[in-house]
Amino acid sequence: MNENSQPFAYSEIVKEHFLNPRNFLMGDESAYSHDAEGVVGNPVCGDQMKMFLQIKDDKITDVKWKTYGCASAIASTSALSELAKGKTLDEALEIGPVEIADFLGGLPQHKFHCSVLGHEALAAAIQNYRS
Amino acid sequence: MKTTYLDYAATSPLLPEAKEAMIRVLDGMENGQIGNASSLHYAGQNAKNIIEDARKNVAQLIGADPAEIIFTSGGTESNNTVANIFRGQKIAISSIEHPSMLESAKAYAGKLAILPVDEQGIVQWQQIPEDADLVSIMLANNELGTIEPITEVKKRCKNYNTFVHSDATQALGKIHINVKELGIDYLTISAHKIGGPVGIGALYVRKGSAFKPLLLGGHQEDRRRAGTSNALLAAGFGAAAKWCWNNWSCKKYLQIAKLRDELCKRVLNEVPYSSLNGFEKAENGNTLPNILNMSFQAAEGESIQLYLDADDVIVSTGSACAAGDIQPSHVLMAISGDAEVAHSSIRFSLGLDTTAEDIDHVMAVLPKVIKRLQEISTIKIKEPK
Repeated sequence: MNENSQPFAYSEIVKEHFLNPRNFLMGDESAYSHDAEGVVGNPVCGDQMKMFLQIKDDKITDVKWKTYGCASAIASTSALSELAKGKTLDEALEIGPVEIADFLGGLPQHKFHCSVLGHEALAAAIQNYRS
Repeated sequence: MKTTYLDYAATSPLLPEAKEAMIRVLDGMENGQIGNASSLHYAGQNAKNIIEDARKNVAQLIGADPAEIIFTSGGTESNNTVANIFRGQKIAISSIEHPSMLESAKAYAGKLAILPVDEQGIVQWQQIPEDADLVSIMLANNELGTIEPITEVKKRCKNYNTFVHSDATQALGKIHINVKELGIDYLTISAHKIGGPVGIGALYVRKGSAFKPLLLGGHQEDRRRAGTSNALLAAGFGAAAKWCWNNWSCKKYLQIAKLRDELCKRVLNEVPYSSLNGFEKAENGNTLPNILNMSFQAAEGESIQLYLDADDVIVSTGSACAAGDIQPSHVLMAISGDAEVAHSSIRFSLGLDTTAEDIDHVMAVLPKVIKRLQEISTIKIKEPK
């Protein structure tokens, strides 16, 4: 192997978030009191994400999530939860797939759709809160 | 921690005998002793002898005559070659063929019949249409290990003058294969699944069966496959085939079947919400001795694979993520009809170097990996019926 080769298909940051995901909701979701939730994707397609938000004064005070999917899906939801925490709802809506991928040190081209999904789950949660 | 490699069905480690045979050829190529096998001079004949020696060894392993063996670039080319012979004609295949057979049959057949399989992956051979020109059913499935009833297929086709092909890429070296006993017309095999190099395979073509080359423009392989003969890879393939024959590899795999069955039993017992895809016991001869496919509720295959990878256990997943879409395995879809089961599957494939310690290693890490992914998952666990 040459010295530039990486033994993992993803970046080190993706690997770190995949193996040690932040802020995921352990166990039954009803045990976590939240103000909004959003879901996107479908297990039949191989990826599904759910975001749960605690909101105070238009600000996201806490984020939890659940994901069924590949390493990139898990890492990107974990990354998104870190990015969204503490932001106002409008700021959080600004987080797009590019920001998530950049935060993770890049994602393989064919996996990009996973991070787009995370952003949509967050947007769905915010919409759910506002409606 | 020692790495536990359970992805032999993807590729198997190069046998030392195959490596040494190829190094000898490389040395000969470096010092000008081994030339182009088509040349009549000394160096050319040296190359030709290496290839013909390899052909004998490969033929011996499947009970063929050497003249019935065509070297190809691998299983994919062998399968494509067979489909191409029947261009525009009626081809029948099972729904769980390898993509190289499925796609080439789709591309070349005038009419295509795709035969269903039962929940274990056994092809419904009774549905082979009477007017098929070619029937292609794999000897054993690459994802499940399920062994197909080729003898029944052949019996039915005998009445209709239908040619029979079988893709034996995964079965080679694992179970007894004799083309004369099977009585079929074509058989696909590949070197790197038996400890030979990647890049070479073979197609058995029974003497007298219909044939048409896929690659044109050369007289090589008795005018059946154009392109400079590859003495280097043939030497590796021949050495691996010889090793399997001399060491009774199929007999050795009977011991591996026990480890595979033990792994199956332990996963079902020790990993909550796990299920089996295919047959439970390889010892009964319904399935290959080295392949085990299992699904884990609410845990996605690639994530299981990469969590196991981080714990030094190498396995493979049925779901291949390509071009932005994760397509669930067509094999698991065919037997279960459930995309969630298909996405949540893992294939363990064992080799002759697999030990009881390897199984212990898997069982030391797998339960916690599955538990973690189930905790993260959006999918709610359904209690089994």
